[in-house]
Amino acid sequence: MNAVRKRVKKRGGLSWRENAELYTMLAPTVILIFIFCYIPMYGLIIAFQDYVPGRQFLSLANANWVGFEHFTAFINSIFFSRLIWNTIRLSLLNLLFGFTIPILFALLLNEVKNLHFKKFVQTVSYLPYFISTVVVAGLVLSFLEPNGLVNNILAMFGVQPTEWIVQPKAYPTIYTVTNVWKNFGFSSVLYFSTMASIDPTLYESAKIDGANRWKQMLYITLPGLRNIIAITLILQLGALLTSNTELALLLYRSATYETSDVIGTFVYRMGIEQGKYSYSTAVGLFLSIIGFGLTFVANKVSNKFAGYGLW
Amino acid sequence: MMKKRIDKKKGIREGNLFATILIYFFAACIAFITIYPVYYVLILSLSSPEYAVTMRVYWWPKGFYLDGYARVLKDTQFWFSFRNTVLYVVSQLVLMLITCTLTAYPLTVKGLKGRKILTTYLLIPMYFSGGIIPSYLLVLNLGLYNTPFALILTGSFSIWYIILVKSYFSTIPESLREAAKMDGANHWKILLSIYLPASKPILAVIALYTIVGVWNGWFSAFLYLTKVEWQPLQLYLRRILVENSVKLADTLLTEAERLAAQKELLVNSQLKYTVIFVSMIPMMILYPFFQKFFVKGVMLGSLKE
Repeated sequence: MNAVRKRVKKRGGLSWRENAELYTMLAPTVILIFIFCYIPMYGLIIAFQDYVPGRQFLSLANANWVGFEHFTAFINSIFFSRLIWNTIRLSLLNLLFGFTIPILFALLLNEVKNLHFKKFVQTVSYLPYFISTVVVAGLVLSFLEPNGLVNNILAMFGVQPTEWIVQPKAYPTIYTVTNVWKNFGFSSVLYFSTMASIDPTLYESAKIDGANRWKQMLYITLPGLRNIIAITLILQLGALLTSNTELALLLYRSATYETSDVIGTFVYRMGIEQGKYSYSTAVGLFLSIIGFGLTFVANKVSNKFAGYGLW
Repeated sequence: MMKKRIDKKKGIREGNLFATILIYFFAACIAFITIYPVYYVLILSLSSPEYAVTMRVYWWPKGFYLDGYARVLKDTQFWFSFRNTVLYVVSQLVLMLITCTLTAYPLTVKGLKGRKILTTYLLIPMYFSGGIIPSYLLVLNLGLYNTPFALILTGSFSIWYIILVKSYFSTIPESLREAAKMDGANHWKILLSIYLPASKPILAVIALYTIVGVWNGWFSAFLYLTKVEWQPLQLYLRRILVENSVKLADTLLTEAERLAAQKELLVNSQLKYTVIFVSMIPMMILYPFFQKFFVKGVMLGSLKE
């Protein structure tokens, strides 16, 4: 938030009646936020207890305090390095493709001068964003079946049919392609609108100077996008430990855990499926602290170099 | 490469023909990659089950088959979950608009006691959250688990949208409010007759984000609703598409039964393409009209960031 603090001199404040009216308006949301945001934050204390289902969730009386036991158990477990590595690998892949493809797509489409065709491609590229994750995952799963589309196409090149979804080696590709397919079009929106705000006279004078299309892109369009690219990149680096858990939960199989299991899916499995509430809360908390630290650093860097950030 | 081609009308012609062709070709390829899977599902849903299952259909439906659609439309579970989704979309949309406007308005009134504290109270949950396990336990402890209220209440507000509405409200000149006050209007009246009509654009953006989000959302329902009775359409789709819960032919006894079961299996496998397509129809029809609001939402968001 760029807190533009205008020092406005209070004009005597508001009357009692006005304050009451405004508080009545605020009350429902303030209560909802208290219940559904602040109580769960407080609920994080179960990470330091041995929470047994059925015990009073909020009371501190006869809680079974265990200190940092769950944290150390997680750090010493075999899952620790696997989860971190998997999460970072998938995030980096997503950064490599999910970040660059929208930029390349925007640059490419910017060169299409036929406005109808441009609009058509743009609209079509937004389509996957409006398809639900469940349906996208369903599409991917059926295309990857042993007698599915992917194997049929690969068979033309002499590749043996394989059940790709249970191949740990194939998982990072499947996940990345799905993610990129779903989001590249809509992620390019920001670049399109930034390009639209570049001064057209710059192009005119470049043309007069004899710059061709490639040079115009290199020396006018790209520099125009520099800030927005820097910010997106920095913020994505900050989100290195977060992944698309919703998609992962739909696409991963126990056979592929060695490459597919990420922090989000692990927390879900341990907590909701196996009922290890305290342990999984500790895992979630530990990693969101690291994640928060990363975002914080990324934001500081962004503020310093681009003069623009989340806070 | 550059000034070689001189066009009679435009003077200098940009780039050469080869580059232009290449650019159009790539753009067309991208459009194809995006649209083909969706088109593919359509032709599979219209093909006979035996072709659809092995996916040996590429450009046109093989053997015209509409039974899939008839079966989906007759499926009571489909309609149940469809009704639930409509219920969630409508209730969350109404609540979202109410909470957004009612919260944003007071925070723009200068002189409100504790305005700064309230704003901070609102901002903190954007950066810290309890995560899924404490939220899940809370819903469980409140007795909301497996009731539609688990979804409706947790999805009834969004701090991010409140902030968007608040910043839109602060662009409305203060003098309008002062003038209305002079005329004896109270804050409810001012909100309803001045602020709401003036902020239709931002409310439209929020409404559409909410509609699409609820329509496509599945994870909170997956966390909070294990009973089929209240599950939304996306969980019905998940059962069909991801869990693939269909009867196995081996468990049956006689040959005739086995054959019937195999046919059933075949028909069921094809059915999923029909279900996918049917569930996509509303969004596919609406999104070309929605998109400009979504683009606007991205811009508003990036300005606030």
